[in-house]
Amino acid sequence: MTNLSVKIGALSLKNPVLVASGTFGYGQESHALTNLSALGGIITKSVTLKPRHGNPPPRIFELPAGMLNSIGLANVGLDAFIRDKLPFLRTVDTTLIVNIAGSSPEEFAAVIERLNDEPGIAAYELNFSCPNVKEGGLGFSQNAGVTGDVTAMARKLSKRPLIVKLTPNVTSISDIARAAADSGADAVSLINTLVGLAVNVESRRPQIFAGTAGYSGPGIKPVALAKVFEVAQKVDIPIIGIGGISNTQDALEFLITGATAIEVGTANFVDPATGESIVAGLVQYCQRHNLHSVQEELVGSLAMWQELE
Amino acid sequence: MNDTKIIVDCPVLAFDTLGAEIHSMRLHCPEIAKSARPGQFVNLKVGTEFAPMLRRPFSVCRRDRLEGWFEVMWKVIGQGTRAMSRLRPGDSVSVIGPLGRGYIQPADLKLAVLVGGGIGVAALPLLCEDFQQAGIEVEVFLGARNGDELALSGYFKDTGASVVLATEDGSIGTRGLITAPLLERLAALTKPANTHLFSCGPHGFLKAMVQITEETGVAGQIAIETMMGCGFGICVGCAVRCRNPRPDKKKYKLACLDGPVFDAQEIVLDD
Ligand SMILES: Cc1cc2nc3c(=O)[nH]c(=O)nc-3n(C[C@H](O)[C@H](O)[C@H](O)COP(=O)(O)OP(=O)(O)OC[C@H]3O[C@@H](n4cnc5c(N)ncnc54)[C@H](O)[C@@H]3O)c2cc1C
Ligand SMILES: Cc1cc2nc3c(=O)[nH]c(=O)nc-3n(C[C@H](O)[C@H](O)[C@H](O)COP(=O)(O)O)c2cc1C
Ligand code: FES
Repeated sequence: MTNLSVKIGALSLKNPVLVASGTFGYGQESHALTNLSALGGIITKSVTLKPRHGNPPPRIFELPAGMLNSIGLANVGLDAFIRDKLPFLRTVDTTLIVNIAGSSPEEFAAVIERLNDEPGIAAYELNFSCPNVKEGGLGFSQNAGVTGDVTAMARKLSKRPLIVKLTPNVTSISDIARAAADSGADAVSLINTLVGLAVNVESRRPQIFAGTAGYSGPGIKPVALAKVFEVAQKVDIPIIGIGGISNTQDALEFLITGATAIEVGTANFVDPATGESIVAGLVQYCQRHNLHSVQEELVGSLAMWQELE
Repeated sequence: MNDTKIIVDCPVLAFDTLGAEIHSMRLHCPEIAKSARPGQFVNLKVGTEFAPMLRRPFSVCRRDRLEGWFEVMWKVIGQGTRAMSRLRPGDSVSVIGPLGRGYIQPADLKLAVLVGGGIGVAALPLLCEDFQQAGIEVEVFLGARNGDELALSGYFKDTGASVVLATEDGSIGTRGLITAPLLERLAALTKPANTHLFSCGPHGFLKAMVQITEETGVAGQIAIETMMGCGFGICVGCAVRCRNPRPDKKKYKLACLDGPVFDAQEIVLDD
C-alpha cells in the first residue's frame, strides 16, 4: 500500500492532487463529470470582496499547446460565495482551499476575516499574481517587499494555513517566494499564468480584448518546472507545483522536482476528471517503483547528473 | 434545471460527407440521445493531442432515442474540424454533453419560423421535431453560401414543413440572402404575436435576425457561436455582453451556461 497523503505545514491532504483556482469553478460544475472526492483538494475560483463582472470578451484564445485568458477575476463575490457556493463544497469529501484575490491589502484582510468564521475551509491560497486586473493583482507578487507585507498581515488575521500563489512574470521568483516564507506563508504555489499576446492579423487587433493575457496549458510546463526547481533550492517551505499538468507523467515531474503537491489547471477544461486520473496513475507508479510514501520517497527526489571524474 | 451532462467516449457509428467540407457523423450514446433538448450542444475531443487542445462545440443535430445515437454535422474550418473529418465508423470521440440551455417554447406559440444560416442549420432539426409533435406549425428558411450547406433541406421537406431556400450563388432556391424571403413572409403574417423566430447561424446572420425581430416586432431566439474554453461553466471564457439596462446589473452572460440560445433582445452581438 502506498501512502499518497502529504503534509503542507499544518495542512494535510489525502493525496497531492489539487485543482487550480479558476479552472474548476466552485466544484459543482464538474460534479456530474468526475468523482470530486477522489481529489486531494479543491481550490476555488478567486473570491473577491465584491462581485466582479470580469473583462469584456473575447476573454480566451487557443494557442498551440495552451491558451490565453483574460477573465479579469470574474466571480460571484464573497457574500454569494458563502451563501451559494460554500454549502455544496462542504459536502464534498475533500480538502477545501479558498483562493482569495483583492486589489488592496484591506480587501484581502476583509475576505480573510469573514471566511475565518466559515466552517469547512482548510486553507487560503492568496492570489497575489493575477495578470488580468489593472489594480493590485500582479503588482503584489512582482514585489518582494509588498508580498512580504501582505503575507505578514494575512498571517496575523488568518486562522488557517496560507498558501501564497506566485507569478512567473518576475526577475527572481525565489526572492518573492522567500519574502512570503519569511512573512509566515505555510507554502507557495507556482506558477500563475505567463503574460502573453496573440494578434489577429486580419483585424490587426489583439485576440483578447484586454490585449495581453495569461498563457497556460501544456506549453508552460517546462517553465513552471524550472521555477519549482529554483524555488525548491532556495526556500524551505513546501511548494505546490502548477503549470500545464495534464497527466500522471506531468504530475510526477513536479513532485520529483520538489513540489509537495500539484494543481491541475487548464487540463480540466478538456477533461475535468484529469485530477482523478492522476491520482490513480500515481498509485500505479508508486506500486511499480515500490514506493511506500509519496511525501518521503518521491517529493524532491530529483537526482542531478554527475560528471564522472 | 437538472444537470444531465456526462463525459463519455462515443463510438462513431456512421460518417457522411454531405458536400465540400461538410460532414456529419452518428455517435452511439443512449444517454445524450435521450436527454438532449433542441439547441443544446456537445463538446467534442478527437484524440489526446494538444493541437488543438480544447474541445470543440457542436449542436446536437439529430437523434434517435430508441436506437441510442445522435448526430453532429459540421463544416471544416480549422484544425479541430479537420481532425473530425478523418474519423470513420469504429473510431471513438470523447463527448461532454448535453450542454447549455436550448431553445425555449413560448407559451402561446402557433407558428415557429426556423431560420438557419449556413451550418447553423444543424441546431434546428430537433426543434422542428419537437414543435411538430406538439402540433405547432413549422416553416423553415435556410440560407447558405452554396448548395453544399443546404444538405439538411431534404430532411426538413420530409417532415412536411414548408421550406424556403436561398443561396448566395443562386445554385439552389432564390439567389441572395435568406433575409429577403423571410421578411416578405413575416410581413404577410396574420398573427405575429403567436409567431416566433428560432435562428442559428454565423455572427453577421444573427445580427440580421436581431434586426428583423426589431423591425417586424416578431419575437425571436438566437443560438450563438462563441469560443469556448470548457463548455460547462468552469473557465468563464465565453462571456457575451448583456444589453443594458438589466435589473440584476449583470454585465455578461455565459454562452455555455446561459446560452447558447438567447432571446434576440437579451445580448449584444459585438462587431
Ligand atoms: C454552441 C455551439 C454550437 C456549434 N455548433 C456547430 C455545428 O453544429 N456545426 C458546425 O460546423 N459548427 C458549429 N459550431 C462552431 C464550431 O464549434 C467551430 O467551427 C469549431 O470550433 C472550429 O474549430 P476548428 O478547430 O476547426 O477551427 P479553429 O482552428 O478553432 O478556427 C479556425 C478559424 O475560425 C475561427 N473560428 C473558430 N470558431 C469560430 C466560430 N464559432 N465562429 C467564427 N469563427 C470561428 C477562428 O478564430 C480561426 O480563425 C458551434 C459553436 C458553438 C459555440
Ligand atoms: C481561464 C483561467 C482562469 C484562471 N483564473 C484564476 C483565478 O481566478 N485565480 C488564480 O489564482 N489563478 C487563476 N488561473 C491560473 C491557474 O490557476 C494556473 O495557475 C495557471 O493556469 C497555470 O496552470 P495550467 O497551465 O495547468 O493551467 C486561471 C487560469 C485560467 C486558464
Ligand atoms: S466555455 Fe467555459 S465557461 Fe463557458
